[in-house]
Order: sequence, then C-alpha cells, then structure tokens
Amino acid sequence: MSEPIAAKVLSLNNVEVVYDHVSLAIKGVSIDVPVGGMVALLGANGSGKSTTLKSISGLLAAERGEVRRGEVQFLGRSIGGLMPQDRVKLGIAHVLEGRRVFEHLTPDENLIAASAVRSRNDMARNKDRVYSYFPRLHERRTVASGYLSGGEQQMLAIGRALMTQPKLLMLDEPSLGLAPFLVAEIFQILSRINREEGLSVLLVEQNAIAALEIVSHGYLIESGRIVMHDAADALKRNPDIQEFYLGGTDNKNFRDIKHYRRRKRWLT
Amino acid sequence: MDSMLLLESAINGALVGLMYSLVALGIVLIYKSSSVPNLAQGSMTMLAAYIVLAFANNAGAPLWLAIVLTIVTMFGIGVGIERVALRRLAGRPIIMILMMTLGLEIFLRAGSMTIWGGTSRPMPLGISDAPLFLGPLLINRAYAVGAAVAIALFVLLVLFFRTRIGVVLRAISDDYTAAWSVGISVERGVALSWALSAVVATIAGVLWGSVQGVDQSLAQLLLKGVTVAVLGGLDSIGGALLAGVLLGIVEGLASIVLDPLLGGASRDLVDAAMLILTIMLRPHGLFGRHDIERV
Repeated sequence: MSEPIAAKVLSLNNVEVVYDHVSLAIKGVSIDVPVGGMVALLGANGSGKSTTLKSISGLLAAERGEVRRGEVQFLGRSIGGLMPQDRVKLGIAHVLEGRRVFEHLTPDENLIAASAVRSRNDMARNKDRVYSYFPRLHERRTVASGYLSGGEQQMLAIGRALMTQPKLLMLDEPSLGLAPFLVAEIFQILSRINREEGLSVLLVEQNAIAALEIVSHGYLIESGRIVMHDAADALKRNPDIQEFYLGGTDNKNFRDIKHYRRRKRWLT
Repeated sequence: MDSMLLLESAINGALVGLMYSLVALGIVLIYKSSSVPNLAQGSMTMLAAYIVLAFANNAGAPLWLAIVLTIVTMFGIGVGIERVALRRLAGRPIIMILMMTLGLEIFLRAGSMTIWGGTSRPMPLGISDAPLFLGPLLINRAYAVGAAVAIALFVLLVLFFRTRIGVVLRAISDDYTAAWSVGISVERGVALSWALSAVVATIAGVLWGSVQGVDQSLAQLLLKGVTVAVLGGLDSIGGALLAGVLLGIVEGLASIVLDPLLGGASRDLVDAAMLILTIMLRPHGLFGRHDIERV
C-alpha cells in the first residue's frame, strides 16, 4: 500500500468528531487526497462518510458537532479554526448529500448566490464555465430549481460548488436516487473536470461500483474508522469489497448471511 | 350619497392599508431573507418612533436629521439583535426563534414604558390636517403620504431582492446549510436582513407616529402587520402591498357597515377574521411561495 510521495491538497490526521459533546461519530480518520487526484471514500449508511466531509468543510458546527482530536490540513495549512466561508474562500467546496439546491431560486440565481466569496468578474466567467459543462442547466436557467429533475438538481449542486472556484471538490453521494445513465453522465463530467482543470476530487459514495470506475484510490470507512485503503483496481479485485460493496460475485443465499458477517474481519 | 361615503371609506381604507403594508414589509423582508417570522416588528416600529423623538426633542436635532440618525441607529440595533439574540439560535428549531422574537417584542414594549412612560407624544411631520379633495371625496393627507412612501419602499425592495446581495439573502432563506456550503456568511446575511427591517420600521414608525402619536399602542401595529404579511404570503413583497390595500378597504367598509350594528371595534374583528381565514383556507397567502413538491 505504499504510494509515491505526492503533494497533498488535503490531509486528515487521526480526526475524531463528536456530536453534542458525547456521541463519537468518527474515530481517528486519516485520509490523503493528492493534488489533482481523484479519491473515493466508500462506506455504508451511517459509517461516518458525511461527518468526515463536514469536518473538512466546517459544517459540523451547525449540527453541534466538533473535531475533538486530530488535524485537518488543506494545502499544508491547518484549517481547524476556520469558519465555513473562509474554507470556501481557500478552495474547499462541499456538494451536500441530497443536492440541497436553493429550490425557490432559478439555476441562474443559485449560481449567483454561490459566488458570495468571488468577484463579479469571476462570477461571469465561472457561470460560462458551469454552463459549458452542463448545457442542460443553461436551458433551464429561468425555472425554479425545485422543479428541476433529480439529475438536473445534482448538476446544479455541482455547478454551484464550481462557482466558488474550488481546489478540492468534495461530493457527498452524488449518485443518490439517480438513474444509472445519469450517474454515468455526471461521473463522466466529473472526470472531465478533474482531467482538464486538475481539480482534486474527494468522492463519497455508497455506489462503490460507479465510484471505483473513475477514482485512482479509495478508502473504506466502517463505523467511523478507515478499514482499508488501496488503489481503485486493487479494491475492485478485493474479495471482501466485491462481496460487501460490489454486490457479490455469485448468487449467495440469505442463509449465508452469518458467513458474510464473519468475513468482515477488519471490524475486529 | 351613501355610496359616496362607502367609496370615500374604501379609498381612505386603501391608503391606511398601504400604511399597514409598511409594517408588513418589515416582516416580509426578514422572512424572505432568513425564514424567520419576526414578531418584534411592531415594537421595533414603536422604538424607532421614540428614538426619532429622542433625537429631535432631547438632543434638539431638526426632524429630518433625527430621522436620518434614527435610521442609522436602528440599522445598528438590527445588527445587534442578530448578534446577541439570534446567532446562538442558528440551526435550532424555528419555534425557538419565533419565541425569541416574541420575547423581544415584549421586552421592547416594556422597556419603552420604563424609559419614556406611557403618555402619547406628537410626531410633528408637518403634514397638514386639511383633507385633499378628490372631486367630492375627502382624502386624508397623512394617509396619502404614508401610502406613497409604502409604494416607493415596495419598488426599492423588489429591486433590492434582484441584486446580488438580495439573491444571496433569498438563498439563505431557502437553506442555511447549503448557503454555508457555498461560502455565504449566513450570520451576516441574517444581520443585514434585520438591519434593513429595522430601517423599514423607522419609516413606518415616523409615519404612524405622525398619524396617531407616539406611544406603546404603535407596537400593536404588529397585529395589522402580521395579518397583512400572512394574507399576502409571508415572502411576497407585492403580496404585502396588495394585502394591505385589501385589508384596508375591508376594514374601512366594515367600520361603516358593521360599526353601527356592533357598536364599534369591528376593525379588529375583521382583522382577526382575515388572519384566521387566510391560515385556514390559504396558508401560503395570496402570493406566497408554495413548498415545492415534485411529482
């Protein structure tokens, strides 16, 4: 699992997050995202994926969570004490789970609202860029965003994040509730942005199959701990991953569930 | 002759209604930019009127200067309310924020009683008491001025919400967390909306103070403001204007038709009925946004 030493855009060292002072959500998570890299964070529901992202974007405070231990470094700088808007200014963009577009605003207004930390000139340029990646948003730019389809809303959520001129784009389950062809389309656009602009991407997914197609590395998180880290190809070949996250290789009977449990050996 | 009387009350009612809209606009402004229903707008209106008088009478400033100084002061008070009372409530259930604004309303009303007492003071705007003649109809000059100011304010607010800052405020109102995630300083946005609403309260306070004198009863404009804001749809600026006119006309006619039968006080009954019926029959008001549900 040794990697070449590359410049890191993001580095989490043993980050521990508590909600309401008591409930421990993630326990010593360490993740690196290389500059220009594309990394996936995989895991099941409630495993701590979203919490990890919020510890990076600074959105924990709104839910009375805090980073109690460990350090979040962005481009070599510790960003622990910064407000969310200051992190956005530095270049961290967080596309929230469930899209969360501004429903009563049009797509165009969504993009304008997302330019709060950028100048007017930047805004015009970024808007052109977003519309060139997502022409469909341009067609629908005057409709209330709440009436867009799920796929269009996800495109808008990503476009909105791009308006902040990020150096690191973090996406929380962008495939959630979307038809497979839309997932493929959106992931293709993400790879394209990553390739063309060198934008670093941290992709959080339950849909491991789709995610492992476009990333170079993946982390696996379970119950708030990173339990596995490897290159995407190696992860795809890993028998445990195949069974638990890629839907298995052959048809297993439900009677074998105990067997499944036993084989999750990294949990112990 | 009787129909002339009705027409006259309808027109004067419409003008008074537009002055109600002044109070409602403050409520709509905050709701549209932070989704908080502000129940302190009545006593903010009252407070502003008292501050104008304090600058004019105690500090001896000319009235126009007193009004300008009050606008600046109220802007600061609006920012202060967010900083002291509301910031720690961000992300908490809306009911707690609602109760906080109610607490503010009571606090400001009681505080003004302690500082300034309960005697009514005049607000000498210099608007003549002589009515305007519109053909055979007599129109109250002060109401006409108030109505004109309300319409001007409406235009300004509509334009404001199309600017970049206005769009950001509307975004905050839609989703606090999403606003944070794209770098919007939600706290500053909410503070700005309270500050602007406090400025609107100043304008309403001066005009209403000149009509009915400055005392704690100005705070009761909250009821009119809430009724108009809810009837128009809490986030609709145009709705607040039209609902004001509507409520004013209904009130004006009701006072002619119903007062002799009921022995007075029909205005408040009509208000209450409008508020209750709106919430029962059309909770999002005449022009309020629906919560979008896709099918």
